[in-house]
Amino acid sequence: MSIATHRVRRHDLALLWHQIRYEQLSFWRNPQSAFFTFVFPVVMITIFGALFGRVKAGSYFYGLSALQYYVPTIAAVSVLGACYSQLAIVLSMRRQNGILKRVRGTPLPAWAYFVGLLAHCVMVSVTDVALIVGVGAAFGVPLPTHWTAIAVALVLGAASFCALGVAVASLIRNSEAAPPVVQLILFPLVFISGTYLPIHSAMLNRISGALPVRPFNEALLGPFAQHTGFDWHNLGVLLAWGAAGAFVAVRRFRWNPRPE
Amino acid sequence: MRAHLTARPADLTVRAARKPAVAVDVAGLRKSYGEVQAVRGVSFTVEHGEIFALLGPNGAGKTTTLEILEGFRARDAGQVSVLGADPGDRANGRALREQIGLVLQDIAVEPYLTVRETIARNAGYYPEPRDVDEVIALVDLAGQQRQKVRNLSGGQKRRLDLALGMIGNPSLLFLDEPTTGFDPNARHGAWEIVRNLRDAGTTILLTTHYMDEAQELADRVAVITGGQIVAEGTPSTIGGRDTARTRIRFALPDGCAVAELPPGAVPGDGLVTVQTQEPTKTLHQLTDWALRRGTVLTRLTVDRPSLEDVYLRLTDHGAPASTMDRSTR
Repeated sequence: MSIATHRVRRHDLALLWHQIRYEQLSFWRNPQSAFFTFVFPVVMITIFGALFGRVKAGSYFYGLSALQYYVPTIAAVSVLGACYSQLAIVLSMRRQNGILKRVRGTPLPAWAYFVGLLAHCVMVSVTDVALIVGVGAAFGVPLPTHWTAIAVALVLGAASFCALGVAVASLIRNSEAAPPVVQLILFPLVFISGTYLPIHSAMLNRISGALPVRPFNEALLGPFAQHTGFDWHNLGVLLAWGAAGAFVAVRRFRWNPRPE
Repeated sequence: MRAHLTARPADLTVRAARKPAVAVDVAGLRKSYGEVQAVRGVSFTVEHGEIFALLGPNGAGKTTTLEILEGFRARDAGQVSVLGADPGDRANGRALREQIGLVLQDIAVEPYLTVRETIARNAGYYPEPRDVDEVIALVDLAGQQRQKVRNLSGGQKRRLDLALGMIGNPSLLFLDEPTTGFDPNARHGAWEIVRNLRDAGTTILLTTHYMDEAQELADRVAVITGGQIVAEGTPSTIGGRDTARTRIRFALPDGCAVAELPPGAVPGDGLVTVQTQEPTKTLHQLTDWALRRGTVLTRLTVDRPSLEDVYLRLTDHGAPASTMDRSTR
């Protein structure tokens, strides 16, 4: 891996931007992705706001009000959808359709394709999180103060869940299996990680704390609601999962719909 | 994914290198999938500026050969040079791909972009692309350019594919069965586009299982079957078409016994066949024989083996061709 010898052309940054623009275009044109990935979390926080907007701080939500708790966890869910679910499904479908093979047949370098996708996913995530925070504010949730810690957690989380999404796409053979497999992994994980309901079982929290979703929730909950800064422990767990995902993705990713 | 971290030679390695003597050079190419030998020692060359057709039945090894040249598959053995570079060497990938265009067998395009957006996106991948509007006009999609790709008909999608193959202004274009599924008008339209590209200097390597496509388009044809090239030449000379014997056929005249036929005439399935190297002389003798007997040679035809006859004989399909072959021995 001789990074030093790789020469980035001046043209390459323009190429990257070109690629991001068309990823965005494909995303927003597809009503399914635009709705389920982008609008759904915003709808959810709005419903939660209407339902729990008046629930005051209590021990059930670790001393937070219900919405103070839900703004960061729903923000985390939106990142999971925009990064992990989107990439796992989109990439396995593009591979099966032969679209990835076509991309491989153009001079577009693989790094530009993937960095473009990653940047696209991060942009969707950040917009989604901003909207969720905005809806929370409309229901009276105070705005967070530690924006750097939030930005770091968001970018690291988005990158890690992108890597995991590509890894899952690399392991799925049939694109029709992608949506169910993605949900099968995500749904229980989100549930035991306290995204929708706070979990008060120490045992369960220890297990989910070693899996990727709860550390992301925690890394956002701290700076969002508890006025704490960087949650290094949970960021570390997230990074480890991201690295594991990237490892599988680099080793197992295929462009060709049919194995050799 | 590893490719983006590996070294890439300077931009100009392939482009600025002295133009190789031939556009494509393949020697002793082999590829197996498990036990199946898909390509068994294929060799051919494609000259600059010509249309070269790999003609063969399904499963003959055409697509495997093409995909090795396109850099999609690794070969087991043999030498391959595409525009002077080895397509199996990832280090050449980007520079080589800037100069080649691909139209693969399956249609695969992003469904939610419009025709124009799809072409403009790919144009951005090449250093010197063709003009987007010009290419849209060339493939006759101007009327559909604002339509989403998912709403196009199969033939329109295929033309979009062709547009994506040529948008980078390639010096070499690979076409894998470009007109499969086209109606006759659409095929003639596609042939016209391909011929125009060739006339503008693009080298074209295409695969097809249509005889008429090879006949209409190709400057040279190689017939491939069972992973091997069994004949190579121009459409008019391949398989000895130009030197093959002329075949004269007519109905056995009423009341004419087989024994009364002139020497060399072979009866069979209602028609009498005469094979000859000297059609003028033989025809004269035959008509003379008929006139003296006072009979008429009904259903008289004089022909030479068509490309289809040659193809069927070479690829070992169909009884008529092999019958003809046997009768000439």
